[in-house]
Amino acid sequence: MTAMSEPAPRDPGGVGTGADGMGRATRSVSLSRGDVLRSFWLWTFFSHANYNYERLQGTAFAHAMTPIIRKLYHTPEEIKAALQRHLVFFNTEPNVGGVIHGTVIAMEEERANGAPIDDDDINSVKSGLMGPLAGIGDSISQGTITPILLSIGIGLAAAGNVLGPVLYFVLEVAVMLGIAYFAWFQGYDRGREGVTTLLRSGILDRVLSGAGVLGNMVMGALTFQFVNIYLTLSWNIDVGGGQTKLFDVNRDLLGAIMPGLLPLGFTLLTWYLIARRRVSPIWLLVIYVVIAMIAALPILGPAGSPCSSILNPFFQPAPGCPPPAA
Amino acid sequence: MRPIIVSRRSVRIAGLVSLASLVSLALAGPALAAETPAITAGIFQAALVGLGYYLSNSPWVLGIGGFFGLYRPLVAGLIVGIIFGDPVKGAQIGAAINLLYIGFISAGGSIPADPSVAGWVGTALALAGGLDAASAITLGVAVGLLGTIIFFTRMSVDATFAHVADNAAERGDINGVARANWLYPQIFLFVISFFPATIAVYAGAPVVSEAIASLQTNAPWVLRGFQIAGGLLPAIGIALNMRFIFRGSAIPFYFIGYVFAMLLGGRFFAGVTSPSIGTIVVTTAIVGLALAWIFVTLRGDRVDTTRGATR
Repeated sequence: MTAMSEPAPRDPGGVGTGADGMGRATRSVSLSRGDVLRSFWLWTFFSHANYNYERLQGTAFAHAMTPIIRKLYHTPEEIKAALQRHLVFFNTEPNVGGVIHGTVIAMEEERANGAPIDDDDINSVKSGLMGPLAGIGDSISQGTITPILLSIGIGLAAAGNVLGPVLYFVLEVAVMLGIAYFAWFQGYDRGREGVTTLLRSGILDRVLSGAGVLGNMVMGALTFQFVNIYLTLSWNIDVGGGQTKLFDVNRDLLGAIMPGLLPLGFTLLTWYLIARRRVSPIWLLVIYVVIAMIAALPILGPAGSPCSSILNPFFQPAPGCPPPAA
Repeated sequence: MRPIIVSRRSVRIAGLVSLASLVSLALAGPALAAETPAITAGIFQAALVGLGYYLSNSPWVLGIGGFFGLYRPLVAGLIVGIIFGDPVKGAQIGAAINLLYIGFISAGGSIPADPSVAGWVGTALALAGGLDAASAITLGVAVGLLGTIIFFTRMSVDATFAHVADNAAERGDINGVARANWLYPQIFLFVISFFPATIAVYAGAPVVSEAIASLQTNAPWVLRGFQIAGGLLPAIGIALNMRFIFRGSAIPFYFIGYVFAMLLGGRFFAGVTSPSIGTIVVTTAIVGLALAWIFVTLRGDRVDTTRGATR
């Protein structure tokens, strides 16, 4: 991100370079860093406080703009217009998307100082950037960082280490807050051109592809750790001379090819069904629970054995049952 | 980001199945179990769980600490464990339930399930019922599906407050707009989240613990079914996350991660003592970080194939 840190002239929203002269020459009101920061905290806290189907984050955007409006506009007409301007439908990823708010704040500041920026200019920045930034932001925050940090926390907690959740919470909040703060002030300091430059710079691409590698590694480890399926099919085969030998599918067939092949294959099958065949994960939930219940049914098993059954190849060590052959 | 494709019918049916199983537990529990000691949650403990559930949906914990923190069953599990006096067990149960939601993404107001209620209420009920972590997943999932009702109610009713904000804007009332965003929706959210969760824990804990105790004596295979499901269901959570990252040139690293964990876990070489399972994921993550660094460096500025849909 160092490439982005050198100071650059503010270009609010990249709207009309001709606006520069008259806007800045007659500057009468300007925002302090504190105003922008107050707006940042309002958004960080309340971005989803009134999340709803009609406007999504619409009222939250207006709420975040209140310190700015209060500072920049003083006549009732201006205040009313500014509030209504920001109460429209809005939805983006709250952390990365802060770049939009930064940009809009910069535009409002120029507008209050007489630059020819109208409602359409501001709306087009909001509605033009919110979609792309929602996509990029969700894949960064919810799709990449959160699962990786969660995996580490889950790994630790499952082993009985209470520091797992604590570590997750602290790291997650710190990382998200850092991203949100960075995005917000990038937007304010550099405007829409800055945003476009950042998106085109390839830095995001590099970070996300690196995170993809890390994420896949961690998902692989989680699969090994937590997905459990065993085949307990076994039978005696006649090896000649009146001798028999126990053939265990889990040990003698799958184990001979590669130990742990079954959980891996099962997870890949699930991925295929969800990602490629578009099977609803909720259907899969129901189906898997039903499979598990069938696998546990005692009436299907050989008499006297509570631990395995004919129909049910899926087996997990349970209290009172011997572990499957490795 | 692409929202998860969930048909309304599947949600409804799964909700009904969850409801039916919980109701049958409620009906069967007292009838079957006569003399089992029921673990009861005090009203104070139940209210703390309800409060935690409300907070996880609220803006009060830095905003980020809600949705990205308390909302996750991993975090909720630890806190519920502390409330019920067994932090370690709570964290283990929360971690297990969270496995299913590791690929959880809320985009544009669509959620397939409510991880938060699964974490807060699910962990409390599992602790009361004395379930182990793997068995708790199914219970958590059932509760989590029911929790979507609260989410949908909230998303619909909150639109009203947007109109309250409109009226305030009409008057030029800056504080009124702010209040319509932070105050009124929170009062409503508190009512529809705190009370249901508190009641579910207070009334549900003895029922679930009795039901599970009676299953133990009368139909232990059901509990074994829970355990088997505990080995299958994490595949769904992992697969949901893999939708976004299991693509292009990053695919091999999934297999590298799996085999690496298997080596660490001692499943490849007989006789190798395996480290604790927490260490496996952490170690894999560290090695993954190094590999990611190498990968990005070698890739240079070439066009990436690991990302497709986002831009």
